[in-house]
Amino acid sequence: MKRSWRKRLAIGICLMMGFTILAGCTGDNGNAGGAEGDGTTPISIWMSMNTNASITLKSMNEITAIKEWEKKTNTKIEFQHPAVGAETEQFNVMIASNQLPDAMFVNGDYAKLFNDGTIIRLNELIDEYAPNLKKILDENPEVAKQLKADNGDIYAIPHLRLGEYKTFGGTFIRQDWLDELKLEKPETLEEWETVLKAFKEKKGVSAPLLFGAPPKMTTMGPAAPTYLEAYGITNNIFMQDGKVVYGPIEPEYKEFLTMFHRWYQEGLIDPDFATNDQKTYDAKILSGQAGAFFTFIGGGVGRYLPALQETDPNANLTAVQYPVLNKGDEPMFTGRSWEWSSSGVVITNSNKHPEETVKALDYFFSEEGHMLKNFGVEGLTYTMKDGYPTYTDEILKNPDGLSVAQAMAKHFIANYPFVGEDDDRYNEQYYQLQQQKDAAILFSKYSENTLKVGLPPTSLTTEESTEYSKIMSDIGTYRDEMFVKFVIGVEPIENFDKYVDQINKFNVERAIEIQQAALDRYNAR
Amino acid sequence: MEKVSHKLSLLWLNYKKNKAIYWMALPVVLYFLVFKYLPMYGAIIAFKDYSVGKGIWGSDWVGLQHFRDFFQSYYFWRILKNTLVLSFYQLLFGFPAPILLALLLNELRNEIFKRTVQTVSYIPHFISIVVICGMIVDFSSRDGLFNTIIEYFGGQSSALLSDPANFRTMYTASSIWQELGFSSIIYLAALSGINPELYDAANVDGASRLRQVWHITLPGIIPMILILLILRIGGLMEIGFEKIILLYNPNVYDTADVISTFVYRKGISESAEFSYTTAVGLFQSVINFTLLVGANRLSKAVSNTKLF
Repeated sequence: MKRSWRKRLAIGICLMMGFTILAGCTGDNGNAGGAEGDGTTPISIWMSMNTNASITLKSMNEITAIKEWEKKTNTKIEFQHPAVGAETEQFNVMIASNQLPDAMFVNGDYAKLFNDGTIIRLNELIDEYAPNLKKILDENPEVAKQLKADNGDIYAIPHLRLGEYKTFGGTFIRQDWLDELKLEKPETLEEWETVLKAFKEKKGVSAPLLFGAPPKMTTMGPAAPTYLEAYGITNNIFMQDGKVVYGPIEPEYKEFLTMFHRWYQEGLIDPDFATNDQKTYDAKILSGQAGAFFTFIGGGVGRYLPALQETDPNANLTAVQYPVLNKGDEPMFTGRSWEWSSSGVVITNSNKHPEETVKALDYFFSEEGHMLKNFGVEGLTYTMKDGYPTYTDEILKNPDGLSVAQAMAKHFIANYPFVGEDDDRYNEQYYQLQQQKDAAILFSKYSENTLKVGLPPTSLTTEESTEYSKIMSDIGTYRDEMFVKFVIGVEPIENFDKYVDQINKFNVERAIEIQQAALDRYNAR
Repeated sequence: MEKVSHKLSLLWLNYKKNKAIYWMALPVVLYFLVFKYLPMYGAIIAFKDYSVGKGIWGSDWVGLQHFRDFFQSYYFWRILKNTLVLSFYQLLFGFPAPILLALLLNELRNEIFKRTVQTVSYIPHFISIVVICGMIVDFSSRDGLFNTIIEYFGGQSSALLSDPANFRTMYTASSIWQELGFSSIIYLAALSGINPELYDAANVDGASRLRQVWHITLPGIIPMILILLILRIGGLMEIGFEKIILLYNPNVYDTADVISTFVYRKGISESAEFSYTTAVGLFQSVINFTLLVGANRLSKAVSNTKLF
């Protein structure tokens, strides 16, 4: 009686969603109705829209390179984009209701999708219709090993990174403040403490070290772990001497929490770290309240640095190497991605033209398609200068005032994952500022180390994956909450053992076992 | 058999007599059938190991496994407690508030002032919950309205929404603020139905204004209060879920995470445990149903007012 109509509407919509779940079971599918009469193949692709693209475009269909791609492959692509911020929700609802598009760009649990009958196996299709991709896989057995499941199945037309550039973000610090205070770039955690203290005391800033996890803020974000990683562990599952280990229950994690709690008390880290969103995160950087923070070389620094210098011409950012414990140590965790980082386009079981779809996607692995994906249309977005594809002013000095990242996203799909292979020559130009170029070199200096500690793209069986995700979802919530509590001091650090006990009760051992088995299978591939 | 066919023929007679009414009711019946009853079929995945490929019917039965998992879960007591505590706060503070407002408004003699107060108090009801929560978040930020006030009175600014101790107060207070005026309308309507002669008689007997409220006004709206209370109790476990989603963050899960938000996170937003969360949702509905029937019975026994 007291319910507002709005709530009723919301409930109505929820129920309708429930109803479509039922409808989905009758074998309906949401295929794109296409203009098959004129000989083009209609293909619908589900993919979340990159923010750089969404600034100028309503749909990825408007991207210049996509239009060109349609022409070259005689297809009619229809992109289906989930609402920003609700990607996982909409994906899960879509899967549960079995209302599938022809193809989906996902980063996920392929084996489970295949075993549920949602997506199809691609090996035969690739052999027959994707000669360009097949050639790459034949020439790079390491990459093929990553892409293939334990039984040799291939489920995705991949996004690959075969070139030099495999690290894309890290910690940046205010170089102008370092100069002003006559400080060196910090290397060890101790030096970090000194620098942050100086920022706090002499610059009077509220967040000497800014971290948090935009856009969703549900974990400690990418920045805090770099300080944890100085201790040789990370905040999730990783590899230690070939054995799978879960970081947050290791004794080193306690040392890290003790240090971060001290930093919190002394005001060296952002007091609002647990509640930041993208807006407050940006605001703190741009208002000069943050001395060091994590961001991406391309989209982050490319945006922050010019904006900072607009208000303060002296402002400068510089990349800092991943912190270590002792002087001279080499950082192990560097955020280096694998050649295949488990993302690509899968083909659903409701696709009526799997051959054409694979053929069309394979185009991006051809010489011509590769150029189209990374550089766009010759003459419009790049010109060949001595055999080097050089971006035009449309990209580098966009007349409409778009940033490089936004201009790229308008014309082609280089600066975010999509099918095809990244070109180093794109990254060389994407990083326009000297600070960005230096950062790319600095961050990739020790990136090979990460291959020794990072888990390769293993694959789990359906049962394993269900069990694993159930265990880890409980643990993840608990770990994130306790991290905040330990750092803020609501939970005294003496209770660390109790915390470890609780994670053990969640059966972390079983989760580790599952990953170890998957790793063993991967190594045996 | 006799009886049934007799009843059916009565129904047919009734239908012939009131054709228009039956046809008018049809859309409503269809609405409930399609949107409320049919989806219940999906609830059986709570007892199955739902796999999309096998479909709802084809998935394997697991019996009460998901319910057992939930009851043994580390988060069970916390979300149950939070759901109940938040609902209880809503009931304790949120339920009497509009009654109080209605009584106060009823005593006002200046019509213009009365209308103004009423209008102002029910406007927040028409603002979208998303906007309301956006306002609350902005006001609670470090340099927001609330902290400015706190600092003005010599307090310390803090991240108000990341302190678990604040969440319940914030949630309840803002709900009262938003719904107070609108909910009081129904009581005002009930109040206008009280026979004015009763007041005249009381006046003659020399009853004070307070006495009149106590002995005439309040008893006059008791049936309405009880009906609304029963409804309220029926929804005790079903707490404003969108609002919590919009307001909470992992730091305040301790006091803010309720059954419905847990279902949302585990079901579609973080992991996709469809069967498990259906079981949890079903559990919530069963409790609600039991409470509703219980409250109705109790009310019937105590005051002879009942909903059904």
